[in-house]
Amino acid sequence: MTTVALEITGTGWLTTFQDLGRRDTERLGVPTGGAADQHSAVVANLLAGNPRGATLLENLGGLALVPDHDLLVAVTGAPARVTVGGAPVGGWSPVTVPAGAELRVHDVRLGSRTYLAVHGAIAADTFLDSAAPDARMGFGQVITPGTRVLLETEFRGFDQPVFRLPVPTLPFEKGPWLVDVVESQGGTAIPGIRELIAESSYVVTGRSTHVGLRLDGPVRHPADETEIVSHGVPVGALEIPHADELIVLGRYRSLTAGYPIVGVAARTSLPLLGQAGPGRELRFRWIDRETSVRRSGRREAELRTLERATADAFGALGLRTALARS
Amino acid sequence: MTTRQPAPITVEPYGDSAVMVTIPHADQAVRRAAIVAFRDRFLARRPPGVLDVVSGLESLLVEFDPLETSPQHVEYAARLLGDSPAADDPVRRRAVREFAIPVVFDDEAGPDLSSVAEEIGLAPGEVVDAMAASVFTISLLGAAMAPMMDGLRVPRPVRRRAEPRTDVVPGAIMIAGMNAIIQPFPGPTGWRVVGRTPHTIVDITRSEPVSFGTGDIVRFVPVSPAEAKALDGSFLLPKEVPV
Repeated sequence: MTTVALEITGTGWLTTFQDLGRRDTERLGVPTGGAADQHSAVVANLLAGNPRGATLLENLGGLALVPDHDLLVAVTGAPARVTVGGAPVGGWSPVTVPAGAELRVHDVRLGSRTYLAVHGAIAADTFLDSAAPDARMGFGQVITPGTRVLLETEFRGFDQPVFRLPVPTLPFEKGPWLVDVVESQGGTAIPGIRELIAESSYVVTGRSTHVGLRLDGPVRHPADETEIVSHGVPVGALEIPHADELIVLGRYRSLTAGYPIVGVAARTSLPLLGQAGPGRELRFRWIDRETSVRRSGRREAELRTLERATADAFGALGLRTALARS
Repeated sequence: MTTRQPAPITVEPYGDSAVMVTIPHADQAVRRAAIVAFRDRFLARRPPGVLDVVSGLESLLVEFDPLETSPQHVEYAARLLGDSPAADDPVRRRAVREFAIPVVFDDEAGPDLSSVAEEIGLAPGEVVDAMAASVFTISLLGAAMAPMMDGLRVPRPVRRRAEPRTDVVPGAIMIAGMNAIIQPFPGPTGWRVVGRTPHTIVDITRSEPVSFGTGDIVRFVPVSPAEAKALDGSFLLPKEVPV
């Protein structure tokens, strides 16, 4: 094991330590939180030879750093220009960064967030066993330029590896993004809402936060004033507040009260929702639960394939991955 | 073999990875007590594939991995549990803790105290007396581990604020309906702020960030601002129980 320091030379609007979020803490009133785009976070870690849930860096925008030792990294998330010492390298692929060379992730487009995973274990504070920030509870995990991030790694450097892995990416389209939605309890409380949502176009506004995406677009409100008492809601729930807007709740949502929930985004659509920034146009498509779970199963199978392929490739280079360790 | 009545619970799919459990009953108090009891039993015998639960006032959102289980399996498990009487449950619950929480009740610490008093037809001092005489039970941990409590004894339910306050300080004692809650971190709230405790309610640097849990008993003890100052910021702990 070697301790490596990554000197952060540039960040996005917000760069934090991140992981897949807290487990089994929602019953304590602490939202799961974690990477807004869980798919990109998982793939970044697998490509770097880490366990899926290893601590990594999440950037709202880009990032730049200089390591004091050779590193193996992977950058995923929104399409971006990735360079090492000024030379372009690939995103969604393992990349070596020689000691002293600057890794830059810039020109982030179409999506909001990029993820940087580094082979090894990043040292970060945890709260309830997770490095994921929870700003409301005073756990910011913010990384600013000048920060030295420490890492324990087995990586001792090798020439640029030639990986040819089937990497499952996300469809970052220039046009509207298609989001699948599954019906939920209470979805019929507003007559015609299902059709309205299916036919309309919605645009992400700048009022969006990690609690939820706030969308401009047509909505309808319930006719009666039936009291809705505080209740839990899944990540991805589509909520209609009193104002004329649609909210898609994110991984830091809390209990909701008084607002009807009209549907819940499908599991496989959540990563893209985590990437949708202000100005992004979204279209919704209703799918049934079985279809949604089937797609989720296919996505998981793709990740397992990648997990095995990286274990093989890293094994051939004498580096252990999570799969090889287990 | 005995035949049991099916439990009167409803389990409805909520998206592709959750179901919502409710216990219909005409009486709100029964609905709320029943869902708390159900949650405890459900967590004690958590079915495979269940990842987490989110407590609502009258509901339980059960989150699961749909690649490991299905809404049908979760519903079946929930019905079996709802059906089994709590009495023969072998899983022992943690001992109930009691809290005597010092609170400053004045217009500065509780800016909504006088408007609440006016609304429910009491003098502000009588609202404080009612708060001190109430025995609260923590029914769930709300946002950011805030203890949500039942048991406010006032003549009628307290309304929420029409316009939420945007920045309420940690330790604020707040009421709405027949419930009370303590603000753990600075932030917005629609609850009515009637007092403040000097104690730290949630400390994220501790391995156990809170000392309370659902089912614990809370009483509020009025103290003077000077008495509160002496306790400033110390972590809230349960009452010492003589052995």
